[in-house]
Amino acid sequence: MQKPFLAIDRVTKKFGSVTALRSVSLNVGPDELLVVLGPTGAGKTTLLRTIAGLEAPQEGTIQMAGEDVTSRTPAERDVALVFQDFSLYPNWTVRRNLEFPLRAPGRRLSEDEIAQRVSWAAELLKIAGLLDRRSQRLSGGEMQRVAIGRAIVRRPRVFLMDEPLTNLDAKLREALRVELVCLRRELKTPMVYVTHDQVEALSMGDRIVVLGEGRVLQTGSPEDIFRRPVSPVVARQLGQPAINLLKVERSGGAWVADNGVAVAAAGEGGGNSMILGVRPEDIQPRGGEREARVTLVEDMGPTKILLVDWGGCNVHIVAPATADIHQGDTIHPQVDPERIILWPEQTI
Amino acid sequence: MVSQRTGLLKYGFVGPALVVLIVLNIFPLLYNVVLSFTDAELVGGGARYVGGSNYSRVFSTAEFVEAIRTTAVFVAAAVSIELCLGFCLALALQRGFRGKSAILTVLLIPMMLSPAVMALFWHQILSGDYGILNHILAAVGLGQPEWLTAPGLKLISILMIDVWMWTPFMMLIALAGLNSIPQYIYEAAEIDRAGAWRIFRRITLPMCAPLLALAVLLRTTDALKQFDLVMAVTGPNDAATQTLSALLFQKVFGDGKTGLGSAYACVLLVIVIALASVFTRYIDFIQRKQGKTQQ
Repeated sequence: MQKPFLAIDRVTKKFGSVTALRSVSLNVGPDELLVVLGPTGAGKTTLLRTIAGLEAPQEGTIQMAGEDVTSRTPAERDVALVFQDFSLYPNWTVRRNLEFPLRAPGRRLSEDEIAQRVSWAAELLKIAGLLDRRSQRLSGGEMQRVAIGRAIVRRPRVFLMDEPLTNLDAKLREALRVELVCLRRELKTPMVYVTHDQVEALSMGDRIVVLGEGRVLQTGSPEDIFRRPVSPVVARQLGQPAINLLKVERSGGAWVADNGVAVAAAGEGGGNSMILGVRPEDIQPRGGEREARVTLVEDMGPTKILLVDWGGCNVHIVAPATADIHQGDTIHPQVDPERIILWPEQTI
Repeated sequence: MVSQRTGLLKYGFVGPALVVLIVLNIFPLLYNVVLSFTDAELVGGGARYVGGSNYSRVFSTAEFVEAIRTTAVFVAAAVSIELCLGFCLALALQRGFRGKSAILTVLLIPMMLSPAVMALFWHQILSGDYGILNHILAAVGLGQPEWLTAPGLKLISILMIDVWMWTPFMMLIALAGLNSIPQYIYEAAEIDRAGAWRIFRRITLPMCAPLLALAVLLRTTDALKQFDLVMAVTGPNDAATQTLSALLFQKVFGDGKTGLGSAYACVLLVIVIALASVFTRYIDFIQRKQGKTQQ
């Protein structure tokens, strides 16, 4: 791997008696988009604010380009942070919002240069027509574009994004997500992108860090995290509908669940009591031995999500939209044995 | 049926307040205007209509010009010192720290005490012979000015007391203004590499401005009427400290010339209304600039 641009080493941050980050370490390469994924309260925002310099960690160090910046101010770190709630300067026009970071002391830019950068950013984010509008008269999507614009005009050393798309409606979110990825490729600036949205994490991230209760649970490529999660907690973070988790015992060459259903053939090695995870799209509705009842069918358009009562446990199955399956039907689910994930029982 | 009853009820609720307002506010105001055109005196009846002669006397006496000057100096100095001090205190108190609420409470005490009590209290401090201030000054080897009797110092003493009394008021309003600025704006500005001065100049000050203007308006109209401190410290008939209100008190209750005093009161009223309308327009202007009234 390339020498990391941003290196966070065993950072711990406490707020009174609450520990938000527990010895978090991670690296971001010079041209990498690192997604930090985790549920609410996992410490994602705290991590970002600590990188930005808005919070000082109690322990650990933060390095940027090989320099220790742990005790430096946000201004000295030269990072750009886009907040979830847009945080534009109220009562100012879009243009003034974009110019503000360019007029910072010590940044001697000519008026021409400022105007040029503002129009460049406005062009890129398609807000050129809004430059003279006051910030509080913008829609949510426009506000977030301006906020991103305010971050990119500066050409910072790192981009930090705190769930920038969460407060937008679904359609806009998708459009802006694509734009962000393209934008970052163009700017070639490292980015740390915090989200709780698995679609954003999987589609945008070069690598993903999964955070839970202030700890790094797993770091890896989207493929790694999705296919080889280190624990059921990580596995549950990704996938819609969520992964099926079953307690299984080895019995007669098969993994058998509590209810006596033989889920899949058991290979060699591993313990006898395991947690078995299988994603809903890795179960076929037909071809298995044991029967199951379909209790609910959710038609999602291209697919159908089935909630199935399989000998007493509820299992989600993703079936093609063309499958002729209805509520109350009896099916015979079959698990793809290549796709199952096993963890020792105590990891739950 | 119902509407008729609620109709009566509504007058029932508003009525008493209206009566009190008319008896205690509207009537005295109008009566004052009427009196200002007569030669009414405090003792003895028989007021005659004298036209505008009271007003021409008001504007032709040196006393009036002097009182305007004294009042203007006092208002300008008091309000600006209180504004600056109050805003600085608010900035210092903005961040949370141990004992903040205790300090706030102590700072608010002067505002809650009666001005008469305050003036007596300061009399003890400023007295030339036994005052504690001069004791302290003597102890550190400085001169012992006659705070309450030297002509050049009397107004300054009153100013000092007023500042001491009303700075907490400015501080409270400034604090409310500062607290209304969301934290995220400061953080965004910090990320945008704005220095402390730039953040203060571009964000803190403009966002506090409407509230500060309101505080200045309230304090100015109040300081224009400055009377109680003057009365308690030097008495109403001291040339060095005679504000407009003290002058009109002197005319009515000292000289017994109610008609002339009423004319002074009317002039003072017009001045206050004029200044207040300038300020409210300014506040309106700021708010419109910030787009608050557009929505």
